[in-house]
Amino acid sequence: MENLLEQSSLFLQQLVNGITLGGVYALIAVGYTMVYGVIQLINFAHGEIYMLGAFLAYSMVTFLGLPFFLAFALTIPVCAIIGIILDFIAYRPLRNAPRLAALITAIGMSIFLQNLALMIWGSQIKSYPRNILPKVFSEPALIFGEVSISWLQVFILSVTIFCMIFLHLVIHKTRIGAAMRAVSQDKTTAALMGISVNRVISFTFAIGSAMGGLAGVLVGLYYNAIFPTMGYVAGVKAFAAAVLGGIGSVPGAILGGGVLGIAEVMGAGYISSEYRDGISYAVMIGVILFKPSGLIGRKIGEKV
Amino acid sequence: MDLLLKIKGLSKAFGGLTALQDINLQVESGDIVGIIGPNGAGKTTLFNCITSLYHPSEGEIQFQGIPITARKSKKKEALIRRLTMLFFFLGLCWVPLFWSVFLPQTDYPFEMFLVGLFILAIQVFLVIGLRKFEIWAWGLTLVFLLNDLIFAFWWLKYPHENMSLIGTEIPANFLGIPWSIAALPFSAYFLWQLLHKPVRRLFGFRVGPDAICRAGISRTFQNIRLFFNLSVLDNVKTGFHVRLKTGVLGALLRTRFQREEEILAEKEALNCLRFVGLEQKAFHMAGALAYGEQRRLEIARALASEPRLILLDEPAAGMNPKESAHMTELILKIRENGISVLIIEHDMKVMMNLADRIYVLDYGKLISEGSPEEIRSDPKVIEAYLGKAHAAC
Amino acid sequence: MTALNPAKLRNHTLISCLILFIVLLPWIPLGHSSNYLLRILTTAILYMILALGLNIVPGFTGLLDLGYVGFYGIGAYTSALLTIHYDLSLWVILPLAALNGALWGVLLGLPTLRLTGDYFAIVTFGFSELVVLVLRNELWLTRGPMGLPGIPAPSIFGHTLVHEWEFYYLILFLLLIVLFAVTRLEDSRLGRAWFAIREDEIAAQCCGINLIRYKVTAFAISASIGAMGGAFYARWFLFIHPDMFKFWESILILCLIVFGGMGSIAGTMLGALILIPLSEILRIVLPQELFNARYLVYGFILVLMMRLRPEGLIPFERSRAAKALKTKKRIGSATGKEAV
Repeated sequence: MENLLEQSSLFLQQLVNGITLGGVYALIAVGYTMVYGVIQLINFAHGEIYMLGAFLAYSMVTFLGLPFFLAFALTIPVCAIIGIILDFIAYRPLRNAPRLAALITAIGMSIFLQNLALMIWGSQIKSYPRNILPKVFSEPALIFGEVSISWLQVFILSVTIFCMIFLHLVIHKTRIGAAMRAVSQDKTTAALMGISVNRVISFTFAIGSAMGGLAGVLVGLYYNAIFPTMGYVAGVKAFAAAVLGGIGSVPGAILGGGVLGIAEVMGAGYISSEYRDGISYAVMIGVILFKPSGLIGRKIGEKV
Repeated sequence: MDLLLKIKGLSKAFGGLTALQDINLQVESGDIVGIIGPNGAGKTTLFNCITSLYHPSEGEIQFQGIPITARKSKKKEALIRRLTMLFFFLGLCWVPLFWSVFLPQTDYPFEMFLVGLFILAIQVFLVIGLRKFEIWAWGLTLVFLLNDLIFAFWWLKYPHENMSLIGTEIPANFLGIPWSIAALPFSAYFLWQLLHKPVRRLFGFRVGPDAICRAGISRTFQNIRLFFNLSVLDNVKTGFHVRLKTGVLGALLRTRFQREEEILAEKEALNCLRFVGLEQKAFHMAGALAYGEQRRLEIARALASEPRLILLDEPAAGMNPKESAHMTELILKIRENGISVLIIEHDMKVMMNLADRIYVLDYGKLISEGSPEEIRSDPKVIEAYLGKAHAAC
Repeated sequence: MTALNPAKLRNHTLISCLILFIVLLPWIPLGHSSNYLLRILTTAILYMILALGLNIVPGFTGLLDLGYVGFYGIGAYTSALLTIHYDLSLWVILPLAALNGALWGVLLGLPTLRLTGDYFAIVTFGFSELVVLVLRNELWLTRGPMGLPGIPAPSIFGHTLVHEWEFYYLILFLLLIVLFAVTRLEDSRLGRAWFAIREDEIAAQCCGINLIRYKVTAFAISASIGAMGGAFYARWFLFIHPDMFKFWESILILCLIVFGGMGSIAGTMLGALILIPLSEILRIVLPQELFNARYLVYGFILVLMMRLRPEGLIPFERSRAAKALKTKKRIGSATGKEAV
């Protein structure tokens, strides 16, 4: 038994790291999938909101001198608002335009925001100063043999789980959640039933962006590296997770995020760490080619 | 009078919704056959099945004696099912083999063990997917089988005489060699399945609507599907696409063959436009035409591919009586030129004047068929339409 | 949509400006223009070629290719490596690079072109990222982050190209070839099939157009043009590095064709002519840190164009209408009457 624990310790440690990373990807992926569910558009700029969340928390801590948890709490509504504004200026005017136009706008916004961040904060990698964070974060919380889970990881995992439960309650137990589900199934009928479609869509963006920004703060904390292009790569990976789980399905995004996080950490640990990002791209391409509806998702057809 | 189109036992289901059920229909050469029925009865779905935009769930369509739909035969399904179970069981043997070879050698024994379990899990998924004829299962199965094949070749090249199956005294060779021999035919079989038409979908090669057009069936659409940003002439020239042969090289080099083909295309297109009466508008943008003209343009485009059978989906929709009369004349002119017509129409006057035979659809089932007079007095039809019959008289 | 009326072809002015400029281009080096100006123009024309290549996929078939820079990079590295290791002439390398590009276009396109627009865009994006990753990590092949310096310049009839104006005429010549190819393709059975696919895929299928075959062909041709551009670039800039082929280049080229007009050749060229020198102006005007963020402008242009004038400066529809007018003049008398 001891031998098994010893032999499996590397694997289990990677698993823990993978689940933590997976939780973060799930948070971002949920934003993608919800927006796709209601407006059938891949919000390329979502990764940038994640990045902005990280930068905002960092700026609040370093420039405004706020305590970390306050900055953390403030970033969430700010990101939600940014998401709403993004929808309002970029996507809403193109609600009835051909898909290609909306796609190009999304990409344009993404590039614009990345470079805006580059302009504002510069390209150097930023880190939180040592004394800002609670010391306890870097200490291990649980230890099994050689496997250790740090308090930071516990924090991230608990925030993630809390968000998922919160999201589940919102989607299934509230009126606006029901409205979201209605709009994602059939926009016209939902409008006929008296649902304000635009408001629901704004709300979806708000929640998705809040979670994305939250994930940004968490990752900025975890890796202690914040830079303008972090949203770009994480965005693609989270999108891969969303597709893996089935685009349009929230449980799918969570599952996909978890699987992708674990796959990435395992791949980086056992196979090659240079192609770390490549694993996500490969998974995404593989899923899209072989099973576009993902693990849980549903198929959408076109009427002839 | 030979049989041009023969539909037997056609069914089409979309998940839980059955759009068509057991349709039997025939079009003879020189006929005008009508299809009527309330909205949602499945008429356009029938057209889509004929032109291979949808694949039928069951049944068969024959055009000029040649089957144009891929039918999943029950026997083949049963065979596939048996083979996948066999593959699955052999896969179960494969895993201890995998463990026997890798576990003693590797630095990560625990992880290798998990990889073996993972492969087993995937193979279970594959069995489930294959039984439903899912494309992704085919793709992954091939990947796995090729991997097994490589493993088998490697095994044959470096037989490990001293290695025994994990936990036992049995030399691993005992399973390794039979597996190598089995993997080859399986790989070949699945590779052939991949090349075989129904499964070629993974790489996009399938018997699609373009092949149907080439065979001689063309169609118009209920909601006009023109190329609105192209000129009228270009629309019809595109219709003639399938009777030309020039490719990339011809286009780049402007060979004599290419130039002659282009002249031919232009002539043919103008002919078709003349036939429907639109030659004055040849250089207008298709989007700028009036509604009735757009419908005629769609017909011209369909005629350009020199079909033997043309499918018209509500050609007289939204037309006043004078325009409908013109449309009727046009369709009769089409028949005179040797093209058979299969027409969906709601306008009873047009239908009664045109059709030699009518099929009546309701909720995806054929409720009646016969000559216009027979249909008019059929109680089932009257019941389905309840009231429309008065307008038809 | 108005009926065909020559007086209403508003983009008359734009097109004539473009033609004027194109006619002027070959004469520019004969004056005493600086190397700097020539460099900018060479870059602009290179991007024109790239944009013409990319234009084929979204412009002619309506699919968004986000991974175009992957082919550009493949072409550049093919050219650089072949030159360094085998010392081949440029005239051998250009077709080889084009062929390599086409090969990768086919390999990538075959499984992916049956996907819907969004997924196709993402998969092409993933492809270009994978290309950059491979370029950066496979040191045995590409020397990775150290780049490939010291690529020999091409030589024509024994004379090695050294002056800026020599490269300028070379790229002009390449532009002519690509323009020739693209215009011929546009006005052919192939071009008609592409436009049909762009307008309405389902109707195109029912007219007998095999979607996969034509989409893959478009994709392969687009890739080969991109690769050719890359091949020229390697032997002009004489140094290449994986970071030159990042995703943002794809966005820049996309911006050129969106701005100019997707699907119209004149529009694409105009877009390149306006936006590439703009980038130079930005370089002069802005301080270094801000200049690195110049893609902000391109992103902004994309959003703005989609909002205000999605068809671009010279819309695709206008070029189709102009074509119809030309055909009408050619056979007008055959139909007997004037169409108004």
